[in-house]
Amino acid sequence: MHLPAAFTARTSGRGILRWLNAPERRGPLLVAPAILTLLLVNILPLLWSFGLSFFNYRANRMATPRFDGLENYVDLLGDDRVWERFVTTGLIVTGSVGLQLVVGFGLAMLFARKFPLRRVLLMLVLTPMMLSFVSVGIFFKLFYDPTLGLLSWFVAMFTGEPFAIMATPAGAIWAIVIADAWMWSPFVMLLVLAGLVSVPDYLYEAAQVDRASHWRRFKTITFPYVKGLILLALLFRTIETFKTFELVYLITAGGPGTATETIAVYAYRLGFQNFRTSEASAMAYLILFIVIVLTSLYLYLVKQRNSEEV
Amino acid sequence: MSFRKHNEGGWGQTLVSGLVAVIYFAPVFWMILTAFKTRQDALAIPPKLIFTPTLENFRSVFVEVTSSGEVVSTGAWLYFANSAFIAGASVLLALIIGTLAAYAFSRYPLKGNDTYLFIILTTRMLPPIVVIIPIFLLFRITGLSGTYIGIILLYTSFNLPFSIWMMKSFFDDLDREVEDSARMDGSSDWAVFGRIVLPQVLAGLAATLVFALILTWNEFIFALLLTGPETRTVPVAIASTIGGSIGVDWGKLSAMITLFLIPVFIVTFALQNQLLRGVTFGTIRK
Amino acid sequence: MKKYLLASVAILAGSAACAEDIVIRMAAPDWGPTRFMQDYANETYTAPSGNNVTLEIDFIPWANFFDRVNASLNSGEQKYQMIVSDSQWLGNFVEAGHFLKLNEYIEADPELQAIMQDVHPALVAGFSTYPHVPAEEIEAAGGYAPDISYYGFPQFPDAYFTYYRNDLFCDEAENAAFEEQYGAPLPCEPADWDDVTWEDWGNYGAFFTRTAGETLAGETLSEDVYGIAYQAGKPLDFSTMQINAFLWQWGGGIWDESNEPEAQVMGVVNSPENIEAFETYLSLLDYAPPIAQTGQMGIFEIQDLYMQGKIAAIIDWAALAAPVVDPATSSVADVTSFAMMPGHMRDGEIDRSANLGGQPFVLTSWNDETVTREALDVVKWWLSEETQIAAVKAGGQSGLQSVMNNPEYDSWSPWNEYFRRSLPWQKDLWHVPEMFEMLTQQQEEFDRAITGQISAEEALNNVAEFQDELLRDAGRLD
Repeated sequence: MHLPAAFTARTSGRGILRWLNAPERRGPLLVAPAILTLLLVNILPLLWSFGLSFFNYRANRMATPRFDGLENYVDLLGDDRVWERFVTTGLIVTGSVGLQLVVGFGLAMLFARKFPLRRVLLMLVLTPMMLSFVSVGIFFKLFYDPTLGLLSWFVAMFTGEPFAIMATPAGAIWAIVIADAWMWSPFVMLLVLAGLVSVPDYLYEAAQVDRASHWRRFKTITFPYVKGLILLALLFRTIETFKTFELVYLITAGGPGTATETIAVYAYRLGFQNFRTSEASAMAYLILFIVIVLTSLYLYLVKQRNSEEV
Repeated sequence: MSFRKHNEGGWGQTLVSGLVAVIYFAPVFWMILTAFKTRQDALAIPPKLIFTPTLENFRSVFVEVTSSGEVVSTGAWLYFANSAFIAGASVLLALIIGTLAAYAFSRYPLKGNDTYLFIILTTRMLPPIVVIIPIFLLFRITGLSGTYIGIILLYTSFNLPFSIWMMKSFFDDLDREVEDSARMDGSSDWAVFGRIVLPQVLAGLAATLVFALILTWNEFIFALLLTGPETRTVPVAIASTIGGSIGVDWGKLSAMITLFLIPVFIVTFALQNQLLRGVTFGTIRK
Repeated sequence: MKKYLLASVAILAGSAACAEDIVIRMAAPDWGPTRFMQDYANETYTAPSGNNVTLEIDFIPWANFFDRVNASLNSGEQKYQMIVSDSQWLGNFVEAGHFLKLNEYIEADPELQAIMQDVHPALVAGFSTYPHVPAEEIEAAGGYAPDISYYGFPQFPDAYFTYYRNDLFCDEAENAAFEEQYGAPLPCEPADWDDVTWEDWGNYGAFFTRTAGETLAGETLSEDVYGIAYQAGKPLDFSTMQINAFLWQWGGGIWDESNEPEAQVMGVVNSPENIEAFETYLSLLDYAPPIAQTGQMGIFEIQDLYMQGKIAAIIDWAALAAPVVDPATSSVADVTSFAMMPGHMRDGEIDRSANLGGQPFVLTSWNDETVTREALDVVKWWLSEETQIAAVKAGGQSGLQSVMNNPEYDSWSPWNEYFRRSLPWQKDLWHVPEMFEMLTQQQEEFDRAITGQISAEEALNNVAEFQDELLRDAGRLD
């Protein structure tokens, strides 16, 4: 094998540097630290779980794990409880991400123009996403309390009756969706806002001359500029909301019954409470598979749009 | 009429946006208000907007009385210092490593570039709760459990996917003609990166920093499991105000939330202009 | 005996040669009773062996205590020498080999035997034995018998009882109105509650449920007030803890783990007694605050509502009593009294069976002999009469009969008498490793019934079906 000069000329540290600095190695060199970190801290544990998902390992038994092939996956896919959790998660993701887009977009429109005190008012809107899940979960649970909560107090001013939003499965899902969307709409707003700010002035000036309607202006000028960012926001928020655990655990604990139990909560129960360690790993990979499908779909859409533009 | 002319919205716009902002902020306002209330006031319905404020809750964050009546520190200072150090270090690391990688992915595509990018993204897709045991195991084997290096490394890796994706989208959108002509003039790749490319994405760096900081600052489950008494961060201490003999210690909880909010709030406020320009930088481009 | 000799030689040799520095690290939830243990150990504990022993408690938030301990144990971290464990976790971690079986140490040590004899049998049964042995057998064996396997000691034992507002229950006008309606006065003094049944409890609930605008004890209400409340919440084990009391009092019960594999589930868990008991439990929720409809009425929610003066009487744990009589946190601090929990009249006597609460602490299995000895010395220090009395005076609870029999014991806190008198009625939930799976499913079904989606009978049928299959799969049922 032909060794690079730097390796043979060991006397020169600069030789190694020069070798590393070669243009064809620039990509791998720059990427290496990131890949190494991810490999060590994220990908190795992931692979370990993946391997585990083919056994019948239970963390609270001393018996040697037995290789079970695809049994865990087959069991999970044949289990109605699992499908029920996927549907619940889908509802929460759709509701919350949808609401985040609407609210985030609305807020962005409000803050796109400059006006006095804009900087300060914008900070007020950004604060929710700076909070931890624990604080949001605990406080929203209090807000939803039919006797001590602000929501019920507010509703009772009109109805005269205490309002228990979490008394029905649909209400409980709304309770989660509202808390999550409140927390993360500012994230969507930021991305959209950045898009709005980037629209070149002359386009609007031209539209002004053409006396284009508001809707038309929005459709032909504004939207194309924010579209990419909206999709990016959609991607990240979908992935994150799919993992919803803390808010559900704190606000409803999955109730009433199992109406708000997401797959993340279910995977936690499987792995951490029922000690079905291998089954929980398999569950994790089912989740991963679904999120990958969703993400690919999203990336495919982005690519298509991009090629349409060209 | 320009879309962004100075104060073009006027005070009318301030009124409308202000109203919305205040409503949106109300739950946070409530948390902050609770930090100054006694427990009975905190839970009073109809809600109390006018009350005698107390600083007792803030005091209780930092000092406590032991069973023998001694007044001692709760160690909260250490938790705040830990949070600042751990979040600061890991966000900075993620930003450096992530920006370099993003630049490479944008300018020197590897074979299977998109696949790498996608795999990087997938590491953020699993609910953390399901990878806890293997990560815990890894930390035990490497002796990283309870150390600063361990938790910093972990948070760095959590922030990498987002940093790489964000920064790559910035680099992709830059006008390469400037870079190419600089190269033509004999500048090295490093000089191009340092003097031409980086200044154009400062806003992007600011935006990435803020997002990464927010996520790291509030991370709870891994902090709970992988920090020891000496490296514990504030979110774990916040969780400790819940579930004692009084359920939720509303006052202390809110006081901690309020104090803990201040640093991220300041950073975000300071970087706000960058943040807005940042997430796309179209203004620079045109 | 040989082991004992060897060990004592080792200790003697150890103390003679040089004092070692030993740290006993204990995982514990972050709250008063464990904070007290740390403070008091810092102040008073010196190891009798002459070694330099420090107890170092790792305080973990209550809400995530199980997650932390579980992750530590399952990863094989071996970080802790002692662990505060919920009694129900015993089976899980004993079968995984993490908790140390104490028999040989107790066998060899008269002091430890004396402790096991002094700890209340209900607590030995719930906190220490695995496989589970019921309290009656522990009592018959005099606390310690070699054929029973022991693991834990009480760190904080707990039981629930009634908290009530004496300003309402002693109000003359209210008493007159109640007597006119129900033919008997309200229970004003704590002793009056000794005869109270669930039927009476329901009457108090109906009677004290008032809406804004009505009067209560002579005052016009600006907000609604509710009659009664007990735990009915999905998180953790909330509803199960209270429902179990009803099942046992009605003569029904749960799957009897101490009789596996003969003990059955079908026909036991969904027996007519259990169904009637559960229906009664559900019907009494009508007089609770509206949070009951959401299945989120946990121990802290009722504590908060009670402290805000929204409920006339509740049933809650001893652990939660202190803030209720503290004017800094409670608006009803001056008007709260404690009493026995209502019971069910069966065969002419009131049955007050209830589900034990609180936590034992255990030793872990990977420590060397010296550390184990030192840890056991810490146990002896903690369960000495002097330490336990200090713990009770600081607002904790003791599981030692000698402490509870102290003539002054009842005066150390206003609820001590009711803890002491409730203790003999305590039974515990299952301890088998399948416990969590059974509990989670049961909480879900109970929650459906509490939120009105299914009936009591349907819920219990679902629970029975699930447990039958699970326990058969696990080989615990023939």
